[in-house]
Amino acid sequence: MTRLSLTRRGLMAATGTVGVASLLAPRFALSQEGSRLIARSYSDLQVLDPAFRLSAPEGDIMECIYTRLVHRVPGDSWEWELDGAESINQIDDTHIEFALRPGIMFTNGFGEMTADDVKFSYERVADPAMESPYADDWAVLDHVEVTGKYTGVIILKEPFVPLWTTTLPTPTSCILSRAAVESVGGRFEAVPPATAGPYNLTSWEPRQMTVLTVNPDWTGRVPDYEEIHILPIEDERTAELGLEAGDLDYTWVAVSSIKRLEEAPPEGTKLVRKPSLAYVWLGMNVEHPPFDDQRVRRAVQHAIDVPLVLDAAYFGAADPATGIIAPGLVGHRDANLYGYDPDRARELLAEAGFADGFDCTIDILNKQERLGVAQAVQALLAEVGIRVTIQQRDSGTFWTLGSEEAGEAWRDIQLLVQRFSMEPDPSWATAWFTPDQIGVWNWERFNSEEFGELHRQGLVEQDTEARDGIYKRMQDLMEESGAYVFLTHESVGVLHRDGVEPALWPNGTPQFTDFKKA
Amino acid sequence: MLVYTVKRLGLSVAIILVATAVLFVMVFAIPGDPVSVALGPRASPSVVEAFRERMGLDQPLPIQMLRFYGNLLTGNLGHDVLSGRSVATMVLEQLPYSLTLIAGAMVWSVALGVPLGCYAAMRRGSAVDSIVGVLSVGTIAIPSFVVAIYLLLIFAIGLGWLPAIGAGRSGEFGDQLVHLILPSLAVGLGWVGYLARMVRSTMLEVMGESHIRMAHAFGLPPRLVIFKYALRIAILPTLTLLGLGIGQMLSGTVFAEIVFARPGVGQLVYDAVSVRNYPVVTGAVLVTTAFYVLATLAADLLVASLDPRIRTSLRQ
Repeated sequence: MTRLSLTRRGLMAATGTVGVASLLAPRFALSQEGSRLIARSYSDLQVLDPAFRLSAPEGDIMECIYTRLVHRVPGDSWEWELDGAESINQIDDTHIEFALRPGIMFTNGFGEMTADDVKFSYERVADPAMESPYADDWAVLDHVEVTGKYTGVIILKEPFVPLWTTTLPTPTSCILSRAAVESVGGRFEAVPPATAGPYNLTSWEPRQMTVLTVNPDWTGRVPDYEEIHILPIEDERTAELGLEAGDLDYTWVAVSSIKRLEEAPPEGTKLVRKPSLAYVWLGMNVEHPPFDDQRVRRAVQHAIDVPLVLDAAYFGAADPATGIIAPGLVGHRDANLYGYDPDRARELLAEAGFADGFDCTIDILNKQERLGVAQAVQALLAEVGIRVTIQQRDSGTFWTLGSEEAGEAWRDIQLLVQRFSMEPDPSWATAWFTPDQIGVWNWERFNSEEFGELHRQGLVEQDTEARDGIYKRMQDLMEESGAYVFLTHESVGVLHRDGVEPALWPNGTPQFTDFKKA
Repeated sequence: MLVYTVKRLGLSVAIILVATAVLFVMVFAIPGDPVSVALGPRASPSVVEAFRERMGLDQPLPIQMLRFYGNLLTGNLGHDVLSGRSVATMVLEQLPYSLTLIAGAMVWSVALGVPLGCYAAMRRGSAVDSIVGVLSVGTIAIPSFVVAIYLLLIFAIGLGWLPAIGAGRSGEFGDQLVHLILPSLAVGLGWVGYLARMVRSTMLEVMGESHIRMAHAFGLPPRLVIFKYALRIAILPTLTLLGLGIGQMLSGTVFAEIVFARPGVGQLVYDAVSVRNYPVVTGAVLVTTAFYVLATLAADLLVASLDPRIRTSLRQ
């Protein structure tokens, strides 16, 4: 029989090994957890009050913990289906009748959801005294008439076409418990007094993690995942590495990473590419010399080879845009009016008295893709004699550059690269370029009364073909002004583990409630 | 000693106030508007104006500064422009993550830097001394974010031994400790070099002193002489350096927090500056400045209490 001898050094080594192994154990346990989805969002939640939400990731969480009358369906087209409503019908242009599904219970003992909660939630957003930044979503709401415990009628002041696409199915129309919200003084921030949705908000560790757990009282479709952990990770590259290391199941990736990840995804992962609704353009301040001369603006339009710019900035992961309204939406144009023609650009510059070119600046947000665009634009404009200096700005500075209220910087804007995102209704794209937006978000200071009038018409025109014509004409006006070179709608890349089947809207936005285990 | 402590405390308060005032002016000097970020593009001008008024952002800078200091007397650091949450709560939520990271970095730097410095001093002029010297300068010269990225690529992605992101789940000590290894090493590695250099040079100085030579002459074991007599004296300047190091590390943690997606005060301040969230920036920097000043003060007081020469000079 061999005698077991144990030295002090051996004991310490063994203890150390066991200690390290025990520390590593939770990591392996984590990756084996089958009913937990670990997803990344680009920012932490700060406000879960639908009327005061600050970012899209908060909307993603609201989709999980609240109910709307209708909600969007994941897939490749923008459609909705019943959520909290048993039925919903547009009786006429200004009346929408609804009946709630009985048995939807609020948490924390706030009882069953009723039509009065719907009235409270919608009228609350529209109430000017609430000062909700989302009041415009319900600007046409006159009132909600409660006709029974579960039934009511939404009464509008005038027809509002985007209601079914960008108001009713969005977080703005989440239904809150009147009793719960009033019990906390009418407003709340990150911790709702009561929720009613497929998931409950179990915990929130600021800047660390939000945990959602399936709601045992939920009477609708039961989600596949028992728990969702949402990690706020601002930097896309960090998130990509996190997924590669096995710490995440799902993340959006940087646009410039899409091509690389499409061609060689990390082992055990898949990349899904979706068209984005966002629109990126090169803008020109029509009040700043020499861009106050339309011939100069047109010269710039002819000097930009858009596919080349996109190859340089997005490495082939973005297609050229034909306007500000993305493919698949009403008002999408088939082609631009002015294309790449450097000879014509030189002619126009000579006509305008700039045969030797001129110096100017281009303002951009300090993002990699935006810098790529600016550098390509700089090179292309140099070909026709325009010498461009790139001015990179941090987000705090950039987003106030064109605002008259924020100072005098708007006077100095010459060229800029801009990107806006939008909801799936063309009015969301055109809203920022009307004359009353000059000095607010219309930084090119494009001033067209016809454009403003068409925008108003588009909100009430119910005939789809007529609406399509309105928005196409509006983009023609923008391009004819010379103030815009439409670049791209970008695309969205989603990286996920093989074991996860993501549920995404047409623009790549996740609907966590419908994620499934593959 | 008491007079010295009171004087240092007074100086510390003055430093904190001046640092905060300078920061206040700097933050307001750069363009940007937190209200437009808070309310988004769809807010009407009247809503924007009402919000600005409610947050006190419509007031001139001196008034806002006075209000800040007035609130400070009651322990109120103001409210986050975006969420309306108390800044004090937000900072206190994040501070433990940063302090844990700094503590981890300190453990790495002391555990590696002090023995390396001692060893190099004992083998002065040898190949080992040269290697330690090169490594020390190397770790000081390499920026911590570069170290962070390589650690992540090697140990999290390549080998898959350690997690890449996050700070571990609350209440699970093992998980949190595993999540701390790479970020703390990234922050602490530069300080390994600093400490090794510092300990080596002070050890060499001390080893030449008469009482150490006397100990050797009496035939005491070299290890006993070094660790019981020499290191106790040589470690004193290192304590001062560590006091300064805590403050330096606090500002250095921001890179590790971003690369490893960890929560923390550095990340909080970085995000707040990006959106010009003035109350959070000033509140968080006030707390970190106070922490830095207090850490330096504590190190000085510790040295004063341990070093009989300083104690004597203070009595005189």
